[in-house]
Amino acid sequence: MVFHYLRAINAENIKEWKIELTYKPDFIRQFFEPFVYLFPYFLYGYALLGGRYSEHLRSITGISDMVAYTFIGYLFIGFLNTACWAMGFSLRKEQWFGTLETIFVAPVPRWVYVAGMALHSTCHQGLIMLIQAVVITTFFAIVLQMSGIFVTLAVVLLMLLGLYGLGIIVAGLTIALKQWWVVSEALSTLIVVVTPIAYPLAVLPIVLRKASMFLPTTYGIIGVRHLLLGEELVVSLPTIFLRLSLILIVWLTFGMIVFLIMDRYGRRKGSLSIY
Amino acid sequence: MWVIVEEVRKSFKILLAYPAEVVFWVFSPLLMVIPLVFQGKALVGAFSSTSFGNLAGTDEFIPYVLIGAIISTYMFSAVWSMGNSFRDETYYGTLEHILSAPVRPVFILVGKGVYNSILSTSFVIVQLLICVLIFGLEITVIKILPIFLFLILLIIGLYGIGFMAAALTLMIKEAHGLLHMFEYILFLFSPIRYPVEVNPITKTISAFIPLTYALIALRGLLLNIKFNFWKNSIVLLVIDCVVVPLGLIVFHYIEKRTKSKGTLSEY
Repeated sequence: MVFHYLRAINAENIKEWKIELTYKPDFIRQFFEPFVYLFPYFLYGYALLGGRYSEHLRSITGISDMVAYTFIGYLFIGFLNTACWAMGFSLRKEQWFGTLETIFVAPVPRWVYVAGMALHSTCHQGLIMLIQAVVITTFFAIVLQMSGIFVTLAVVLLMLLGLYGLGIIVAGLTIALKQWWVVSEALSTLIVVVTPIAYPLAVLPIVLRKASMFLPTTYGIIGVRHLLLGEELVVSLPTIFLRLSLILIVWLTFGMIVFLIMDRYGRRKGSLSIY
Repeated sequence: MWVIVEEVRKSFKILLAYPAEVVFWVFSPLLMVIPLVFQGKALVGAFSSTSFGNLAGTDEFIPYVLIGAIISTYMFSAVWSMGNSFRDETYYGTLEHILSAPVRPVFILVGKGVYNSILSTSFVIVQLLICVLIFGLEITVIKILPIFLFLILLIIGLYGIGFMAAALTLMIKEAHGLLHMFEYILFLFSPIRYPVEVNPITKTISAFIPLTYALIALRGLLLNIKFNFWKNSIVLLVIDCVVVPLGLIVFHYIEKRTKSKGTLSEY
């Protein structure tokens, strides 16, 4: 049974690569976009500081290099796109293609389909991030601490699994709410605001600081930045691992419950084929 | 004329079927400013910066980015909504029907442009009201007329770009990613978030983007920053005179090409 599901997940992954490679300009674009997206944040920093280094940032984080600080944050938040856009978009896209009903009657549970999308988008996003990391670190001469790379990967993995929970929630809500991108965009905007991507938790108002404690991205990014750049931590590394593990259990469970409820709701109401 | 009116009516009906979208478009540009405010606070430890003032003409970066975010609503609308307007018709399964109707497709395109202009202007008015009521932005009555003048000049130029974006979608189908990238390029090279003078490349390229002149003028009017009124309005007018006919020609050519190649119904 497990092997059967794994084959279905992989088939979904391969199908997605095939569809993406059909639209070549769009496929190539995805490898350039992260650079165009990132530079305005650097230029904004340069305009504010009149240079690359900030004394104030150093006093609150231990890092003075604005470019390195901002880059690490935005590099790993790229996985938020995996959750909110790729996984959330998956069902709506099938609906547009006219294949949603067909794949929903396939002899596998619905979550297998979403897991296939998760596998595909993780591979794709990982490849984009790897290229982005190599180019930006070379171009801006950013020196990363490579001694903790395996711990860094473990933090990223836990963050990613937590974000899968979010992706499953968005995919589920898409069945009921249809206009998926509003859900995706609203959720990702709110998470980007609360997550300490280009600023430390210390500058957030207390309410937002508390809210950020429930997000896997908060622990993922402060953990990774601590390991790669030496940012001073507000919580210890073992606490980061513990909280990330708890968050991923809660988010994945909650995500599956929302997805199953929405799936049943969609079929009972007969709204599966409604746009 | 009726075609344009009916297109606007139809588009509003579709929009009202998804009311969450309206709320999203009103608040999204304002939400985008929040990370920039926190980033600024983390980098300089205050809400004003002398370095920023040397480039932008104002030390206070929050009103600067706030106005940039509000006016970028037009950019989103022109590039994203116009670009996707025909792609959406493909997904709805209605593209062939509207393009085979006994009217010139350019009127349908203009109808979509008028709809997006009305919608974006409504969003911008609500956003400005939020800024006046919550953030204490001051707009004197005497400035309303020049503000509208620059907004109209901006809208015309951006919809010229929007016509080309719509044509692009007809040609390469899955263009939403490319449109997103184009949006990011405009973000990079226009003074939406920062003064483009910060880098010689952004400064040079920004000279060809209508948003640059509109933002300089609108910030000048709203934040009392010195700017050349006539230079900015004449440059915007010249850009409009070039971009709009070019957009219509490109759309007309690609629409004909798509029909003759028989790729209209392809996904």
